[in-house]
Amino acid sequence: MSETALPQPSALAAQNRSVPAAIWRMLRTDRWALAGALTIALLGLLAVGADVLTAIEGQDPFSYHTDALDPATGGPAGVLGGISGTHWFGVEPLTGRDLFAIVAHGARTSFLIGLAATAVSVLLGVLLGVSAGYLGGWYDRLVTWTADVLLGFPYLVFMIALGVVVPASVPRPLLLIVVIGLFGWPTHARIVRAQTLSLKERKFVSAARAFGAGPWHVFTVELLPNLWAPITVMATLSIPGKIGVEAALSFLGVGIPPPTPSWGRTISDAIDWVRSDPMYLILPGAALFLATWAFNVLGDGLRDALDPRTGVRG
Amino acid sequence: MRRRNLLRGLALVTAAASAVALAGCNANARNTASTQTQTATTGGTLYILSDAATQNYDPAKSANLATTSLALVHRRLTAWNVAPGQPAAVVPDLTTDTGKPSDDGRTWTYTLREGLKFSDGTPIRSQDVKWGVERSFAPAFTGGGLGYHKTLLVGGADYRGPFEGQRLASIETPDERTLVFHLARPYGDWPWIVSTPAFAPVPEGKGAEADYSEHPVASGPYQLAEYQKGVRAKLTRNPNWDKNTDSVRSALPDEVVFQLGQDTTVISQRLVADSGDDRFAFGASFVSPAQLAQLQNNASAKQRVVTSKSGALAYLALNTQKGPLADPKVRQAFQYAVDKSAYQIASAGSAQLAGDIATTLITEGIPGREQYDLYPTQPTGDPDRAKQLLAEAGYPNGLDNLDFVVANTNNLPEKAQAVQASLARAGIKTNIRSIDRDAYDAEVTGNQVNYDLTLSSWQPDFPSANANLQPLFASSEIGNGGYNLSRYRNPEVDQLIERAQSTVDPTEAGRQWAEIDKKIQQDSPVVPLIYTRNSFLHGSKVANFFIADFPAYPNYLQIGVTP
Repeated sequence: MSETALPQPSALAAQNRSVPAAIWRMLRTDRWALAGALTIALLGLLAVGADVLTAIEGQDPFSYHTDALDPATGGPAGVLGGISGTHWFGVEPLTGRDLFAIVAHGARTSFLIGLAATAVSVLLGVLLGVSAGYLGGWYDRLVTWTADVLLGFPYLVFMIALGVVVPASVPRPLLLIVVIGLFGWPTHARIVRAQTLSLKERKFVSAARAFGAGPWHVFTVELLPNLWAPITVMATLSIPGKIGVEAALSFLGVGIPPPTPSWGRTISDAIDWVRSDPMYLILPGAALFLATWAFNVLGDGLRDALDPRTGVRG
Repeated sequence: MRRRNLLRGLALVTAAASAVALAGCNANARNTASTQTQTATTGGTLYILSDAATQNYDPAKSANLATTSLALVHRRLTAWNVAPGQPAAVVPDLTTDTGKPSDDGRTWTYTLREGLKFSDGTPIRSQDVKWGVERSFAPAFTGGGLGYHKTLLVGGADYRGPFEGQRLASIETPDERTLVFHLARPYGDWPWIVSTPAFAPVPEGKGAEADYSEHPVASGPYQLAEYQKGVRAKLTRNPNWDKNTDSVRSALPDEVVFQLGQDTTVISQRLVADSGDDRFAFGASFVSPAQLAQLQNNASAKQRVVTSKSGALAYLALNTQKGPLADPKVRQAFQYAVDKSAYQIASAGSAQLAGDIATTLITEGIPGREQYDLYPTQPTGDPDRAKQLLAEAGYPNGLDNLDFVVANTNNLPEKAQAVQASLARAGIKTNIRSIDRDAYDAEVTGNQVNYDLTLSSWQPDFPSANANLQPLFASSEIGNGGYNLSRYRNPEVDQLIERAQSTVDPTEAGRQWAEIDKKIQQDSPVVPLIYTRNSFLHGSKVANFFIADFPAYPNYLQIGVTP
């Protein structure tokens, strides 16, 4: 994500427009962002309603349907990976598990981990960034230095190693959320710290401090309202990265364990079948593509809307 | 002993076969006659594409079969004569016969052929064979090799190899051509034991260095000319090997080149494309289900797939020492819960390619095997029957949180998911834990274990029911590197195994083994799944490529190339 084009609190304050209002305006004027938001809404519906939707279809992501397979090869029987009224997206080769159910429940996995990991990293990033910027001194240097180290850290390798050594009794989704979240905070912290550094010199902050307000009061009442815009933008823009990391880890076999559906693992399995059953790769691949694309365009739209220095695309 | 689950990573290996005239028929119906009508000629270079990074030529550390790579370089006392449609037979290799038993099968005497020479030109003497066997006892060389002989030879249990100055008195060498083995108990399968890698000669006094594997002194038709780990191993002709002394190796190619560390998907794609040197190549690893499905639409490549008629027993091991699984009734429920047809499809895409459904512990093609089914049900299983048995055992709500460990190679995680889904139908909930192959081996053969279930497969190291049952079900094989993965301990079975091993008459021994097979299955320590078929792919210029009834691997000793 870009760290350069963030909204300036001064400008926001001057125009006196609220973040929700700006988002609403943006959605009405930016068609790309609207498309992104709608896609996210659809995929979110798929994720939340996975159980209901697959129940309507009459399937679940775990049951084997070997009768839906071609007896000669183990690939799906029928065209386009076995797409039919019973199996909307066809079936998985060798197992006959319903691919729509896998994609829908996979959306749940991806969204859960993507959103939760983003929440962890944004929360940590904001707390550490604001405190570092506001308090300064050795604490600021420690936070900045830690952030720099983590930014240069080969985190994917570390996560793979961690995925192997952490005992199986630790729930994998929790582990992924914590690990991905922990590696995500430095970017957020740097942005928030930079904003805080400029905000704390502003007169309304100085005034509050002069009246004896403590750091927590200054943070919640004076700083946070002016940080919402950059936080919203950077959170939205970092979700697709988190979803991507979860998919990458599952692709490599250290993410979500089977049989819980995960797009990354299905894509990994599908690679071997790409020549004989391309739909097996295309459908979960398209879902992953749509999710990351949608969050990216929405995030871009938000940045345009909340930062008056860049114009809104028409 | 140990280690014979035929995972594609294992480099396989060696064996015997007298000149087999390959008239068009092969072990499998899919293989058309066209590849077989070509006759291999002497000369040329054969390429073997392997996904393993290393190739071991140290006989003490090898678990190779008598028909694959190690046997190209090393001969043993006996060899295997394998051919499609015939049971495997033990035949003399370095020796004039397969051994003369005396003292009720406690003493075995061998005479070496005349005129045998090592690749360095020195004669092969009985002392060199003795040295090779003694070397396999040295602690530095004990990893990975077959060790059936170690507890059988008198004094073997405490022997620590020749490099500490001690010799093993139970192997006598009265002259340069005679060997006498003294066993601790009668053992009818001894002629098969001396076909294992440890019975390859090593020049007396040599082989103390850890990297002997990279410059072994050859007794077979080829010597190791070049070895680069992860890249290649090149075998060239051994000028001192005399074809007239060897009935099992045709040694047709002038050179054999192993390309190591290849990705299995890439191997498969190269062999399908069949261009350049790959026409003279075959893959040492199994063709995966996805690749097999792809081959169905490629007539040329489809003809070049060779599938074995039968093979290793794939099974689900139930840890008989842990929790609810200690109850035989609970274990019997698993026999009905598992959907074996889903396992077949997960293994190879179709029942035809995966192999027949297994109900016995002794694999197909082994002398004495009796077909039986103690837990008859349809191929997809009977979850209701399983639930009923669980309820009778006191688990009306099924079982929860069983730890199901598998190695992450050879599609095992996918196969485990098929088993997991079928167990779930009977209310048995499992958590799959897929781990690295080496970590897996260490865990399941170790002394402290946490798993409840695991998937494994076992091909006997030699074609005797003894090699099917003893390594998997004798209580001596629990932990300490043993493959009794179900941790099955039954003193009665232990006694019966010992009695059958001591029976020298093969027919009587076979009858006893069949009885033991049923006896073990009454306790239900494992769920037999399928007799695994292995599929291999070769290039268009490779000839004499066949898989016999046993073992389920191509016979490297007969393969040649056409110009």
